[in-house]
Amino acid sequence: MSRGLTFENVAVAGIGMVRFGMYRDISYLHLARDAGLAALHDAGLTLADVDEAFVGYIQPAPMLGIKAMKELGLTGLPVTHIENASATGLVAFREAAWAVSSGRANVAMALCFDKMTDMTGTSGRGAGRDQIDAPILPAAYFALWAQRRMHERGTTPEHFAAIAAKNWNYGSVSPFAHRQSDHVVTAEEVLASRVVAEPLTAMMCCPADDGAACIIVAREDLVRSRHPGRPLVRAIASALTSETYSPGHTFIGPVVGPSSMTRATALECYEAAALGPEDVSVAYCHDAFVNEELEYYELLGFCAEGEAEKLVVEGETGPGGRIPFNTDGGLIARGHPGGPTGTAMLHEAVLQLRGEAEGRQVENARVALTHLVGGGSIATVNLLGVERS
Amino acid sequence: MARVPIEPGFFRIPDDPDEPPRLLGSRCPSCGEAFFPRRLVCAKCLHEGTEDIELSTRGTIHTWTYCHVPLFGKKDADVAGYGVAQVDLPEGPRVQSILFGGPDDFAIGMEVEIDLETLRQNKDGDDVVIYRFRPAHAGAAAGPGSAPGSTS
Repeated sequence: MSRGLTFENVAVAGIGMVRFGMYRDISYLHLARDAGLAALHDAGLTLADVDEAFVGYIQPAPMLGIKAMKELGLTGLPVTHIENASATGLVAFREAAWAVSSGRANVAMALCFDKMTDMTGTSGRGAGRDQIDAPILPAAYFALWAQRRMHERGTTPEHFAAIAAKNWNYGSVSPFAHRQSDHVVTAEEVLASRVVAEPLTAMMCCPADDGAACIIVAREDLVRSRHPGRPLVRAIASALTSETYSPGHTFIGPVVGPSSMTRATALECYEAAALGPEDVSVAYCHDAFVNEELEYYELLGFCAEGEAEKLVVEGETGPGGRIPFNTDGGLIARGHPGGPTGTAMLHEAVLQLRGEAEGRQVENARVALTHLVGGGSIATVNLLGVERS
Repeated sequence: MARVPIEPGFFRIPDDPDEPPRLLGSRCPSCGEAFFPRRLVCAKCLHEGTEDIELSTRGTIHTWTYCHVPLFGKKDADVAGYGVAQVDLPEGPRVQSILFGGPDDFAIGMEVEIDLETLRQNKDGDDVVIYRFRPAHAGAAAGPGSAPGSTS
């Protein structure tokens, strides 16, 4: 069976986020509070209107989500923690959308937050020294993908650098991006930055930062009544998969599953939505390491296998291109705190669909695709659309 | 001074320091698929109950990279640069491992063999070790059925 979810009668009521950055002196709870309040304000709602909340973070500390929700008020609403590594935010959204679609909630919230600056001890990135899978870092894992791609397809570091430069330059025109360059970033500059794991340089890798982002979904009539003139952004469909065994599967290390997970997940989501890649106006993917974005052009169906490099060379995934990717700078420039990465991605997708992404607006954006993978491993693809009055 | 694994249950350390370590795997008696590390339920056919095997000491590089960030991501780790690879073993499993050698010593498709890297000493003075692969020397590799001590 196809396990993709089709949402019925689910619209985005509000979005809010704290720009990602290094917030050593601000607590998790206050980051979460500020993102939650921003989303409630955008929705024209208070916590009293919210029937259910899903909270997400990857910091290994229990109860933080319940505590964060109390910063917004104590109304007795059900609160559930969601943790799916880097994909946490999109999965919290999926659950909120399903709560509304199933009819059990009129209004549901996905609130995510994290502080990579506070990842200490024996967990998180660069895990403990007494674990067999700790020595190999995510950068090395994705560099292994990149090296294999270069071997099989003749991809060059210049292709990767061009994508990274695109995302840095998108970041500089998004007020929500962590990295905002004061000059136009070139592929040459990306290539000249410090090598992390060949062929990946520092500017091809996401930062480790802090932040929070929230999305509130609700029944369409409720959303219309609060903001009659606003384009109605709908949650259309979602797919979530874990690994399927295949020969050559790796079990030890920062496993993010075979890259084919993304293809299978996208197919499930397209099927549930009765849409295809040709219907998508703008896309967001897990570009923690830039070569991933190149692979996902193919795996998400935006070009045939072996043609991703052509898409890069022709600038089809940048401003004015056929399918702009990561218009807020992606994980590379917007940032990647972990939990809120997915809800920040949705924040940008909603701005694009509303036509409010000043300086980076994709013309006539009608359908947005959001994709993340998470360690462990899982992959998720979610589609949103817009109805303009 | 003894050698102890970074984490028990993944590889066997021979008493003879000249012998290579052996990765501990499983084989499904129903479908024949082999796995690293050991597991009870076959990941391919879901058969419950697998047989313990020791995996070959040689394999070929599927892909590799050379890293310039510290091992474990720790700032105090005393490693300047190191290779990382996915190594395909003859039994089937693909193993991710650190490499012993310089940035010019490896290529996709190259044959490599396993040995041990000492990471640090624990509080008892034992060497804490992890498996690694290095360019294969000429000579026979230890296969799954070979007895301890048969490796050249």
